[in-house]
Amino acid sequence: MTSKPIQPLASSSKRWVNLICSGVLTLGLAAGCAGTGEKAGSSGENSGENAGAGKPYKLSIALRQVGDIPAKGNEVEQAIEKYTNTELAIQWIPQAAFDDKINVMIASNELPQILKVNYVPNVMNAARNGLFWELGPYLKDYPNLAAQDQRYYDNIKIDGKLFGIPNYRDIGRAAVVYRKDWFDKAGLTLPATMDDWYNVMKAFSESDPDGNGKQDSYGTMLFKNYNAGTQPVITRLAVSIGGVNRWGEDNGKFTPEFKTQPYMDVLKLFRRLYADKLINQDFAVYDVTELDKAMYDGRVGMRLNVSAQNVQSYSVAMKDTIPAAEWDIAPFAGPDGPRIAGEPGNFGFLAIPKSAVKDEAELKRVLAFLDKLMDEPMSTLQMRGIEGKHYEVVDGTKTKFTDFALFQREVKPYRDGLLNIEGYNVPEIDDTPIALKGTKMARDNVQYAVPNPALTLNSPTYNERGVELDLIIRDAETKYIMGQIDDAGFQAEVDKWAKAGGDAVVKEYESSFVELGG
Amino acid sequence: MNAQIRTTGSSSSRPGGSTLGKERVSRRSEWLRELIKDKWMYAMLLPGVFFFIIFKYVPMYGVIIAFQDYQPFQGVLGSSWAGLKHFERFFSEPQFWQLFRNTLLLAIYNIVFFFPLPIVLALMLNEVRVERFKRFVQTMIYIPHFVSWVVVVGVFYIILTTEGGIINEMLFALTGHKIAFLLEPSWFRTIIMSQSIWKEVGWGTIIFLAALSGVDVQLYEAARMDGANRLRQLWHITLPAIRSTIVILLILRLGTFLDSGFEHIFLMLAPTNRDVGEVFDTYVYVKGLTQAQYSYSAAVGLFKSFIGLILVLGANWMAKKFGQEGVY
Amino acid sequence: MSQDQSYVRVDNTLGNKLFDGANIIVLTIIALVTVLPFIYILAVSFTSPEEAAKGGFILFPKSFSLSAYQYIFSTDTLMRSLLVSIYVTTLGTAINLLLTCLMAYPLAKQTLRGRQPILMAVLFTMLFSGGLIPTYFVVSGMGLTNTLWSLMIPNAISAFNLIVLKNFFQQIPDGLEDSARIDGCTDVGVLFRIVIPLSMPAIATFGMFYAVSHWNQFFSAIIYINDSDKWPVQVLLREIVILAQSRIGDTGFDETAIQPQTIRMAVIVFATIPILLVYPFLQKHFAKGVMLGSVKG
Repeated sequence: MTSKPIQPLASSSKRWVNLICSGVLTLGLAAGCAGTGEKAGSSGENSGENAGAGKPYKLSIALRQVGDIPAKGNEVEQAIEKYTNTELAIQWIPQAAFDDKINVMIASNELPQILKVNYVPNVMNAARNGLFWELGPYLKDYPNLAAQDQRYYDNIKIDGKLFGIPNYRDIGRAAVVYRKDWFDKAGLTLPATMDDWYNVMKAFSESDPDGNGKQDSYGTMLFKNYNAGTQPVITRLAVSIGGVNRWGEDNGKFTPEFKTQPYMDVLKLFRRLYADKLINQDFAVYDVTELDKAMYDGRVGMRLNVSAQNVQSYSVAMKDTIPAAEWDIAPFAGPDGPRIAGEPGNFGFLAIPKSAVKDEAELKRVLAFLDKLMDEPMSTLQMRGIEGKHYEVVDGTKTKFTDFALFQREVKPYRDGLLNIEGYNVPEIDDTPIALKGTKMARDNVQYAVPNPALTLNSPTYNERGVELDLIIRDAETKYIMGQIDDAGFQAEVDKWAKAGGDAVVKEYESSFVELGG
Repeated sequence: MNAQIRTTGSSSSRPGGSTLGKERVSRRSEWLRELIKDKWMYAMLLPGVFFFIIFKYVPMYGVIIAFQDYQPFQGVLGSSWAGLKHFERFFSEPQFWQLFRNTLLLAIYNIVFFFPLPIVLALMLNEVRVERFKRFVQTMIYIPHFVSWVVVVGVFYIILTTEGGIINEMLFALTGHKIAFLLEPSWFRTIIMSQSIWKEVGWGTIIFLAALSGVDVQLYEAARMDGANRLRQLWHITLPAIRSTIVILLILRLGTFLDSGFEHIFLMLAPTNRDVGEVFDTYVYVKGLTQAQYSYSAAVGLFKSFIGLILVLGANWMAKKFGQEGVY
Repeated sequence: MSQDQSYVRVDNTLGNKLFDGANIIVLTIIALVTVLPFIYILAVSFTSPEEAAKGGFILFPKSFSLSAYQYIFSTDTLMRSLLVSIYVTTLGTAINLLLTCLMAYPLAKQTLRGRQPILMAVLFTMLFSGGLIPTYFVVSGMGLTNTLWSLMIPNAISAFNLIVLKNFFQQIPDGLEDSARIDGCTDVGVLFRIVIPLSMPAIATFGMFYAVSHWNQFFSAIIYINDSDKWPVQVLLREIVILAQSRIGDTGFDETAIQPQTIRMAVIVFATIPILLVYPFLQKHFAKGVMLGSVKG
């Protein structure tokens, strides 16, 4: 990259050569400023010097960006720094290339002291190979972390070991969010059996509940990814009538949900609804954002793919479009009462890379920071913001948002990225009754949650071909509902799944289950 | 680099350079003479050559991960070797031929239906003599290039859906039937092509318009004197003038022959059209990105590049045979 | 001028009128069809959130609202990222054009020794690449990470643009260059005084291609730049628009994280208009190329 001096020039073209040289020099200069780039993952800077009490501890954190990017050195960050005696360098990683960026950081070993990761194969591989500190043995020393439900930790274990602190989310937040006014007007109650479901769906699509004179409403609408992700509609309904959550486990024997009766019953229900045109016919290409629009347009009676807390935002948003709309929530329930598909209980987790946190002493310092985040003042900060700016105290104890839009911009990134959970170390909120009902239900319904027994079991085949295997079944379900294949056709797809690796996954889950002392 | 230039330099098209029987010494001194004569030319090449070496060739070692079981935390040097395992797995996938067929068909559709359109449109624009209208149309048609695929697909959904989409409402009023354009496998490629054409055709005209603006107006003058009408002028003057641009773009396009435009296809895939819609790019995404199979997706990528290389070399050879300049 | 008049006079036959008429009608239709979705985006961005929430194809807002734009301008985040984009696009394109012209010109000379292997080597990079992580090591090894240079230097020359520009340069008649050489210009002088001025349509075109690719980059910004103050506007656009659309219910986002449709569309407008304006400004260079013929004579 040295820009070689060029021999004496013909004067007429001197300035052009200068130009070229400066072009080359630009490259050279750019190469020369190697030292100036600040690196977020300044590794091990702190280990000795900073461990003392007084000086703020320098802490680099990489978090996933959700929505707005907070300005550097904003009030929230300052408050966290002050309370935890740290000097934070937070790096926000946009969602659009999150996993790529994590890989680059891992490959180049430019890791921060706290790294937000997802429970995905490459992270699991990295953890298995000792990239992150194992936290299990330390947890008990940190009162706030130790106080959380053990299930949160169990659900992110890799080979039975804990490699991070989860961004806690309610496990039991699955709920039917529905238009109470529609049900009241039609004199219906929430369905419990498959026949109930059919009848409600029929009533809502044929009786024109929104009264616009057109038969354009539906009891519920399916959408493109109705059977994928952590909130799949078919699984949720199947669980409600006694089915399993993804996998059934009986005496160490594993069965996938689509080989169980309740699951097939739900598929048959939708097949019937589709044939009778009681469900949107274009659901296989229907985007969930379009579903939002239809809902705000007052054409949807129930949402089956959302969380209990969502009822609040629907209520607020519908105030503008359909003032008469009245929303309510209920847990998914079958003939035997509430039964819901448990969710993983996290939105990724915070891992502590060994390359950035060199020794145990420093690890304890980082864990102490994480623990402090769940102290009352920090929990309140993350979930309510700053008093006088985002919220005020009413009735002496309750908090009330004064500027929710500002909260969304300035505080929510921290709430979503750091550690907190509604109901722990945070003053109660003064909100609409329905909003309170939503948060309470998400928290309390963990008692009805059916866990996925295979969630943290290790299956190399699933790690390698899982998405592909899932896709075989997902596609088959859609085709089955649309009537493009019959029972035999569906069975053929299940056989295809088994041959493509499904059988191996079952075996691997079973042996992993035994290994982990199932 | 120098050695490379020297060895292949002897086969350069220069008449003097390839004369047999010349003495070694004189050949070298001739080469030196040319180097001195063209010193400015070589000086101008330097920054670019450095650029390609540093940013393109230095990282090129990354292709070897296709022959490894690559893990990011182990690095390229630390990952274990896997030989041709990933290639073997790819070629023995049950879907391989289906993927190949789908990818190939889309690629051919692209060359046959999409590639010529910007040329036609550019020629039409070139015939417009009202300068302001021409500029207006140009500015309008290149706008969709800036609309992301997500938005394009969303807009097409609104228009084409069977649930109140305007096209289907009209169809229903006329024929009493609706067509599930977005679900029917038979419509998949047609819709994909329409979307590509809608989004990129105007953008594609720009390069041809640039080529057209170099056409000598005196040639038209002369042709008119000879009584050639507009179509004949188009055929005999305009098209030949941009022929070499067309040839170059076609050759370069063949290099990425098997690229289908991942984001676009991915957004349009549905369970009902996956049999015709799944292509290498979407398949690799499912494999590589969502399941951290870097080596496997690198192997598929290498396969695609290799096909591209053969096509480019072949096309370039053909072009030269027909007296065109080609890429090199 | 006399040329133009004769052009019009000779062509004014009935056949030509029909030809022109049909041509203009077809082009008008094409222009309208292509621009409709953008009008939709524009219209939604000015619609009240309530009307937009219900969906449908809006071409003119029934309830006009500026709330989406108020939201955009209520913090300086988007504005700052826009400035970053403008900076990177301007400086980056200048670097691109300089380096590409410098390299394309020698390669356009068929008599230059070593030209063919270099062209093949360049072509090769269009087909094979080392991938994300090895490239990252080069960029970070040069100290470019977390600087805006990382968005300009690693893509300083596009192989595609280089090869096509080389092709354009080749079409310039040698005679012109030779006469300049006789007047005492070096090769460098010839490039900047003769070749580039004669190739303005091509330079404008590739300048535009480069500018647009700089404007659209978000991935390298996420990979190379840690500091959110230095993100170009497309990173934010991706976050706001793409995310909202591709969300599949399992991202764990709370519903409120999703920006209303109106804001998403306003961000698209905000992030697209600046680059859209480039083309009309460049168009005048396309006409200039017509001079080429007369210079040759």
